[in-house]
Amino acid sequence: MPDPLLFKLKVLIVETLRLEDVTPAEIPDDEPLIGGGLSLDSIDALELVVRLEKEFAIKITSSEESRTALASVNTLAAFIRERADPARLPSA
Amino acid sequence: MTAPHRTPRAAPRNPGPSWGYRFMRLCDRVVPEPLFRPARALGTWIALLNMPAQRRHSRDYLRLVLRREPTRREIFRHFFAFEEVLMLKLRVAHGRPHRGRLADGSADFHRFLASEKPALLGTFHLGHSDLVGFILGGQERRRVSMVRQRVGNSHDTEQLGRLFSNWISFIWVNEGENLLFTLKQAVAAGDSIALKCDRLEFSAKTETFHFLGARRLFPFTIYHLALIFELPVLFTFGVPGGPGESVVHAAPFWTPDATLGREQNLALARAHFQAFVTQVEVLLRAEPYWWFNFLPLNPEAAA
Repeated sequence: MPDPLLFKLKVLIVETLRLEDVTPAEIPDDEPLIGGGLSLDSIDALELVVRLEKEFAIKITSSEESRTALASVNTLAAFIRERADPARLPSA
Repeated sequence: MTAPHRTPRAAPRNPGPSWGYRFMRLCDRVVPEPLFRPARALGTWIALLNMPAQRRHSRDYLRLVLRREPTRREIFRHFFAFEEVLMLKLRVAHGRPHRGRLADGSADFHRFLASEKPALLGTFHLGHSDLVGFILGGQERRRVSMVRQRVGNSHDTEQLGRLFSNWISFIWVNEGENLLFTLKQAVAAGDSIALKCDRLEFSAKTETFHFLGARRLFPFTIYHLALIFELPVLFTFGVPGGPGESVVHAAPFWTPDATLGREQNLALARAHFQAFVTQVEVLLRAEPYWWFNFLPLNPEAAA
């Protein structure tokens, strides 16, 4: 069974960045989000960060943190699990 | 804005010797203006002769805006207009009083000044526009974070920043990896953000607009930032007014509409920016020397 947080993040990425040719299921868990196959630029990264901050009530305060978090869907999920209120995370 | 770590630090783009600003300041203090102005004109001729690339770009731009081949004297006047604004910035930076006066028909700018709400302030490298942000800070007491490219000799800008430091801060677009986060923090602190929107450097989002007889690429990042931060966009530019005065023109606000989808918002944003670009073109047809573009013209869209 897929990890519900990973799936939610993929849906968020597709919705926020309006990825018309990509479905959530097609986003790999381990590929870089920025500079990878999704062709996201720095404004896309900022938009994603702002959306994630709202969705999970977390703060990403530097590009270093953003790079760490957005390295892949897996690292993003780990980052959010570490910082978000568990009540905001999707349940299995 | 593209990833800043790929850009060189403090690219020395403004020509001239490192002691140039200090020399001009010294002359300004000791040489009477009736002598100093012709000396600046002579210096501008020398600069023009020594800057073939900028001269070529000036000629390319003037050819389009004048609809004929420009004369050498007209290219000089383009260079000299830029030099005179640089001199003005140096004088204001060192304490010369300078006021901004709002042009008629800028009702939305009045509304912006009367409100406490921040906005994304767009402008071009045009006339006195470099001073508008400082006027907003020093005269109107509004906090503005100005997105600028730091060049090797940005003394005039930095000195202006020191003079208005209570109200003005800089976000250097070509420095630091935290550019976008600095921008985010400035918005969170309630600052307005001022961006130049006529050059493509550092712009991640570009679109084409009709300008000087062709569809040309322009930065469009400001509207994406407006959607991300839910802030209005206000385009302004400053032009010379009376002595010690700039006249500030402003286009109407563009505000993201939460009831519309993103594409509908962007369609409205495109119309808004085209209206501003058209307003600028009308101005430049009358005052061709006021756009300080000594770089290659915004490229035409591929057919």
